[in-house]
Amino acid sequence: MDFLLYLLPHLLNGVALGLLFALIALGFMLIIGVMEVINLAHGSLFALGAYFALSLMTPDGGLKLGIAQLLFDLPIGWRYVIVLILAPIGVAVVGMGLEVCLRRTYGKDPLYGLLLTFGAALVLEELIRLTWGPTERFIPMPPSITGAVFIGDLIYSKYRFFASGFAILMIGLLWLFLEKTPYGALIKAGAHDSEMVRALGVNLTRLRLFVFGFGTALAAIAGIVMAPIWGVRPHVGVDAVVPAFVIIVLGGVGSFWGAVIAGLLVGMVVGLTGAYATDWSLIAMYILLILVVTFRARGLLGKKSVLEL
Amino acid sequence: MALFEAQGLHMRFGDRVVLEDISLDFPEGRLSGIMGPNGAGKTTCFNVLTGRYKPTRGRVVFDGEDITGLPPRTIARKGVSRSFQLMNLFNDFTAEENVLVALPAMRQRGFDLIGDAMGDRDLRERAEAVLERVGLAGKGPELAKNLSYGDRRALEIGVALAAEPRVLFLDEPTSGLGTDAIARLGHLIRKLKGEITIVAIEHDMEFLFGLADSIAVIHWGQVIRRGTPAELRANPWVQNSNLGRLK
Amino acid sequence: MLVAFAIFGTLPFWISEIGLYPYLGAEVLIFCIYALGYNVLLGYGGLPSFGHGAYFGIGAYAFGLAQFNLSSSLWLCLVAAILAAAFFGAIVSLFISHRRGIYFALMTIAFGQMFFFIASKWTSVTKGEDGLLNILRLPADFGFAAYPIQRNIPFYWFVFGCFVVTIIVLWRVVNSPFGKVVQAIKQNEARTAFLGYNVVLYKAAVFTLSCAVAGFAGALFAMAQGGAFVQVMNLQWSGVVVLMVLIGGGFVSFWGPVLGVVLYFVARDLLGVYTDTWQLWFGLLFMLVVMFKPEGLAGIWQGIVYRKQKPRSSASLHLLVMLRGR
Repeated sequence: MDFLLYLLPHLLNGVALGLLFALIALGFMLIIGVMEVINLAHGSLFALGAYFALSLMTPDGGLKLGIAQLLFDLPIGWRYVIVLILAPIGVAVVGMGLEVCLRRTYGKDPLYGLLLTFGAALVLEELIRLTWGPTERFIPMPPSITGAVFIGDLIYSKYRFFASGFAILMIGLLWLFLEKTPYGALIKAGAHDSEMVRALGVNLTRLRLFVFGFGTALAAIAGIVMAPIWGVRPHVGVDAVVPAFVIIVLGGVGSFWGAVIAGLLVGMVVGLTGAYATDWSLIAMYILLILVVTFRARGLLGKKSVLEL
Repeated sequence: MALFEAQGLHMRFGDRVVLEDISLDFPEGRLSGIMGPNGAGKTTCFNVLTGRYKPTRGRVVFDGEDITGLPPRTIARKGVSRSFQLMNLFNDFTAEENVLVALPAMRQRGFDLIGDAMGDRDLRERAEAVLERVGLAGKGPELAKNLSYGDRRALEIGVALAAEPRVLFLDEPTSGLGTDAIARLGHLIRKLKGEITIVAIEHDMEFLFGLADSIAVIHWGQVIRRGTPAELRANPWVQNSNLGRLK
Repeated sequence: MLVAFAIFGTLPFWISEIGLYPYLGAEVLIFCIYALGYNVLLGYGGLPSFGHGAYFGIGAYAFGLAQFNLSSSLWLCLVAAILAAAFFGAIVSLFISHRRGIYFALMTIAFGQMFFFIASKWTSVTKGEDGLLNILRLPADFGFAAYPIQRNIPFYWFVFGCFVVTIIVLWRVVNSPFGKVVQAIKQNEARTAFLGYNVVLYKAAVFTLSCAVAGFAGALFAMAQGGAFVQVMNLQWSGVVVLMVLIGGGFVSFWGPVLGVVLYFVARDLLGVYTDTWQLWFGLLFMLVVMFKPEGLAGIWQGIVYRKQKPRSSASLHLLVMLRGR
């Protein structure tokens, strides 16, 4: 029983992490599906989301516009809600800018897309470092979602419940969007065959721009929610790309629920590693990546995909 | 006995059966043709024979040896070489380098890290000979991507030939070529015929009928007719279905 | 190329005059060695490694550890560094060589991060964040005479010698049959396999080779800095070599990386005086290069040379067409 009590919080951590990983991975996957680009800057946009939130939440974030003062005067709960909307939109704009740069690489060797997004990742990270400094930062949170909850003998962080719930909500909304709206259907179609989308008379350029913005906004949301768990550091980005990639390889490109399940799996592994060796929890992801690519390069669904270039 | 044989090949992708009980044999020194409509399984059949895919069932035998499921490089080393329908050259290499890399003598020196690849007179002479053989004499220094379409086709065959194969597989050699280029190609293949064993998939019936010693017709993943061009020409079934386009 | 030799070959005589210092010259050359080795992998093999800093770092640590525990011979320590980097590179290559494109790239990141992580945590060996200090510039013993290379100018000459040796070796490699096969694999992996080549083995070999060169450069860097530090193994540092090689034009020229390295250090030391953001500008320059001129500086140079010749050749072509027309 004691053993279980010891393990349970870590399992719950794993679930929270896994759901957030799934969110990152889904955005990453949308971009692969429609653009056939592996966005190595995805993690940096994830980090940027957290930093945007930081700036909007507190004056310490360095935002000195007069209008921001209005925001800082709001109660923290409302501020948080607004930030959860505004920051991802800001990141989406940056993401769209990146997509415009990427246009020149479409139709060329995929290596160029990879190199460009890699360069973008380094640039974004440097920008973050210059704007917000190299040290770890903390985003103030509304008191209603911080602190601990007591369930019987179990003490657990309230925030992680919030994070899990929020991630489930976002995943649900995303699913509804993809399944029940015409634009979602289009993205799914694009995920299969961009020729067909063009044949349908859809403006492919605009679709790509939208999907890139949308995918990076999802990363930003995950970044904001993850911030209190991982901390806000400039180089947190790469640690977010890797689970996204592992999840997609495991779950199979284009499989929504595959990504969610694989996300939970990866979250568990990282969470449980954290239980026994905190230092090793991040590196667990890299080891997982190596194992997965070595033994299951085509994912659980075994489909050949653009990942193989 | 035939130099190259396929025995009861089956190939499935998921639940789709692409090849069903294909048995073929290609006698030494002859030119054998495979024909059939688009999507009949010709190219898959080719890919199985040259080791790109492993058949679900059945055997591929080369010179009395079972080579089923061996990796392409091993099959290639035994003396099986192929050209590709979609052109598959080393575009940033010159025509000469394309051929040079394909030479078995080059392959043996592949882990030579110090020697000068272009400095070996013997290798270069051999490469030049191959280029001449496929009608590209003097085009050695040109980059493959700058060659004309017809020349690229010829180079494609040159690369396959440079590997000094015992069996040469040609995948739709005439596709995309104009009448003149096809005539030139026919001339080239006629010269090769008799020197090495050739297997060709071909769309252009007239072309194949003019060259092949024997032809197998593949449809729905099965061999439906086999025979010499004359036999097939006389066969009413073939006349009605496949040879409609033959003038 | 002759210009490069002329500049580097005389550098100690004038570098102080323009307000720089010989140590900088040595660092530039070390990174040239690193970048040239990396380019055999990226430019010739088409294999993007985003974790090459790891092997650079392994070389640095191995050099230090060999010096402390094994031998005080410069040559032995250098060989140890090269072998160590090649050894770990070879192990990694077993996992990544049958991968392509994105899988290959991400696997190199994963292994790079792992080595970085291990180096920062294994403090009993690497001294973690503090770095492995007091690595000496051992005297270069040529049998008949031993030269101390403690001071910066003799050290520069030593590194210059290493640079020349590296160039000769790598130049031969890329023009050897092996180099041709590697280039063939870059252009068309499937076709190369159908010609009977063991593609995986070649990819593993070229990866290991470039790791060995990175280790060699790492060892020199440890001598230059007098220590081995874990930072060189992180992703930024691994990224820097990619930036340098690509901006310089590694895809089209053997010499491209040298241009890229020089540009990087010039930018660092000249722009760095005026602005803290130079690294950002360098990153943006990289993005522009990928977007508009993936052939890099060397490509621009070749473009200029080619354009100069072009009018003549197109004129003669025109003449030819006209004659045929008649």
